[in-house]
Amino acid sequence: SKSSKDTDDDHEPKQQEKKLPEHLEVQRTRVVCKADAPVNTEGFQYASAFSAMGIDNSVSAEKFCKNFKVEISRLTEDDMEFDMIGIDASIANAFRRILIAELPTMAIEKVLMVDNTSVIADEVLLHRLGLIPLDADPRHFEYMSENDVPNERNTIVYKLHVSCKKGSPWLTVKSGDLEWLPEGSRLPLASPAQSRDKQKTYTSFSRSQNDILEKPLGVKFKDITIARLGPGQAIELEVHAVKGMGKVHAKWSPVATAWYRMFPEVVFRKEIKGDNAEKLVKKCPVNVFDIEDLGNGEKRAVVARPRACTLCRECVMGPSREQVELRRVRDHFIFTIESTGGLPPEALFTEAVRILEEKCERVISELS
Amino acid sequence: MEHGSVTDSTASTFSIVEEDHTLANSVRFVLNQDPRVAFCGYSIPHPADNKVNIRVQTTGDPAKDVLKDSLQDLMVMCQHVRGTFDTAVTQFRQNNPTGMNIDQNKKK
Amino acid sequence: MDPQQPEPVSYLCGDCGAENTLKPGDVIQCRECGYRILYKKRTRRIVQYEAR
Repeated sequence: SKSSKDTDDDHEPKQQEKKLPEHLEVQRTRVVCKADAPVNTEGFQYASAFSAMGIDNSVSAEKFCKNFKVEISRLTEDDMEFDMIGIDASIANAFRRILIAELPTMAIEKVLMVDNTSVIADEVLLHRLGLIPLDADPRHFEYMSENDVPNERNTIVYKLHVSCKKGSPWLTVKSGDLEWLPEGSRLPLASPAQSRDKQKTYTSFSRSQNDILEKPLGVKFKDITIARLGPGQAIELEVHAVKGMGKVHAKWSPVATAWYRMFPEVVFRKEIKGDNAEKLVKKCPVNVFDIEDLGNGEKRAVVARPRACTLCRECVMGPSREQVELRRVRDHFIFTIESTGGLPPEALFTEAVRILEEKCERVISELS
Repeated sequence: MEHGSVTDSTASTFSIVEEDHTLANSVRFVLNQDPRVAFCGYSIPHPADNKVNIRVQTTGDPAKDVLKDSLQDLMVMCQHVRGTFDTAVTQFRQNNPTGMNIDQNKKK
Repeated sequence: MDPQQPEPVSYLCGDCGAENTLKPGDVIQCRECGYRILYKKRTRRIVQYEAR
C-alpha cells in the first residue's frame, strides 16, 4: 500500500504531464514539410513558452538524461550510423561541427622534395600528398608548435622513392609506396656536421618510434593514386606528418564527412484507398509506402518505411497532396560518421563529446 | 571576459575568445531552458575575429552564476550522451559479434 | 676546382631522352640521335614545401 507521501509525489508529475493541444504539440515536436517549403522550423526554444497553460517546455539536464536514447543501426571499421533521440539540434550540431573541424588528426604537412621529374607539378603533388589519410592514432602524438624541433613525439616521417625505368610502361605511384621511417628523416641538413657527431637530419629523433608505438604506422588506404611516371621519370621525397585540426585545413579532418538528418515521419490525414493507393506507392521513388489488403478487393496505402524517405516531396504534390503530410521529428537525429581512418567512428564520436565537455570546463574556469 | 554593470549583476555580456557557434549555440539552448533566464542570445561580432559574445539577462540571479550553471548542465548532458553512446556500442557489439562488417541497416 | 676548367654539365635530349655531357664550346646536339634541343636536368637540391 502507498504512503500518503507517495500519492503526493504521484500527483506532481500528473500536473506536468498535461498535454498540449495536438496542433501545438505537432508544432513543438515536428517540422512539417509542405510542397514548397517547410513550416514550424523554429520550434519553441523558451522553457516557459507554455507556462500559462501549466505545461513545462524545459529540457533540464535531469529530464534530458531520462529521455535520451542512442540506437546504433550500423557500425563498421570506418563508418557508422546511429539514431540520437531526445537531443536538441544545437547540441547535435555541436557534435557534428567538432567531428569535422576540431578533432586532432595526423596529416602530412611538410614535404622535402629531392627530385620530381614527373609531369605532375610539385605543388599539385604535395597537395595530393597532404590529403592522404594516415593510419596513425593522434592520441599518441603531441602538437608541434612553431619553435618546436621535429622529434619522435610530434612528427611522423615517410619517404617516397619511386622511379620508372627507361623502356618500361607507365608506372602508377600509389599511396602504399610511402614508406614509414620510424628513425626519422634520412635527409642530411645542408650545414656540414662535425665529424664526431651523427650527421644532422631534418628531424631530431632521440629514439625510434618503433619503441613508442604498438604497431607500425602506414597509410590507411594503399591504393590511392598519387602520380603516374613515364619512362625515365622519378619522384624522390620525404614527408613529415604532424598533428592538426580540421579548422586549419581539411586534410586534418578525421571524417570523410559527418552528418545528421531529422527522422522522417509520414502521416496520412485521410485514408488512401484503391487506385489512389496504387498511384501513391508508384509515385514514391524510395518505396516508403506499401499496399495493405483489406480483403474483399479493398486496398489501402500504409507507411511502411518512413526512414527511407529522402524528402523529395513527390507525395505532397499532385492528387495525394491533401491526404499526405510529411514531417520530421525535431529531436530525433539519424547521425552518420564516416571516418578516414585515424580512429574508428565510435571513438571519434566519444572524443567529440569529450571536447565539448572540455570547452564547457574551460569557460567555467575562466568565469571563476 | 564579462561586460556588465557594477550595480546590476543580472544582465551581462560574456565575451569568449576561441569559441564559435559550436559552444555558443549549445549554451544558448541550455540557457533558454533555465527558468531564471529572461533573455539570452549570442553573436559573433565579426567572422574574422575568433570570439563570440553571449548575452544573458536574468530575472534576479547573477548572470554569471546562471551561465556557469548552464555550462555545468551542458557538461552533465555531454557525459550522459557519452555514457549512453558507449553502452549502445558495447551492446551492439554483443548482439553482432561477427557483424562488424555486415550492414545492419535493414530497418529501412 | 679550376675556374678555367668548368665542370661538364649533363643534359637530356628532347627527342630520345639520352643523357649528354657537354662542355663549353661543344656543339649542342644529341650524340645518340642528332637532335638539337637539349634540356637541363632538375636540381636535386632539397626544396621544402607545405602540403596545403
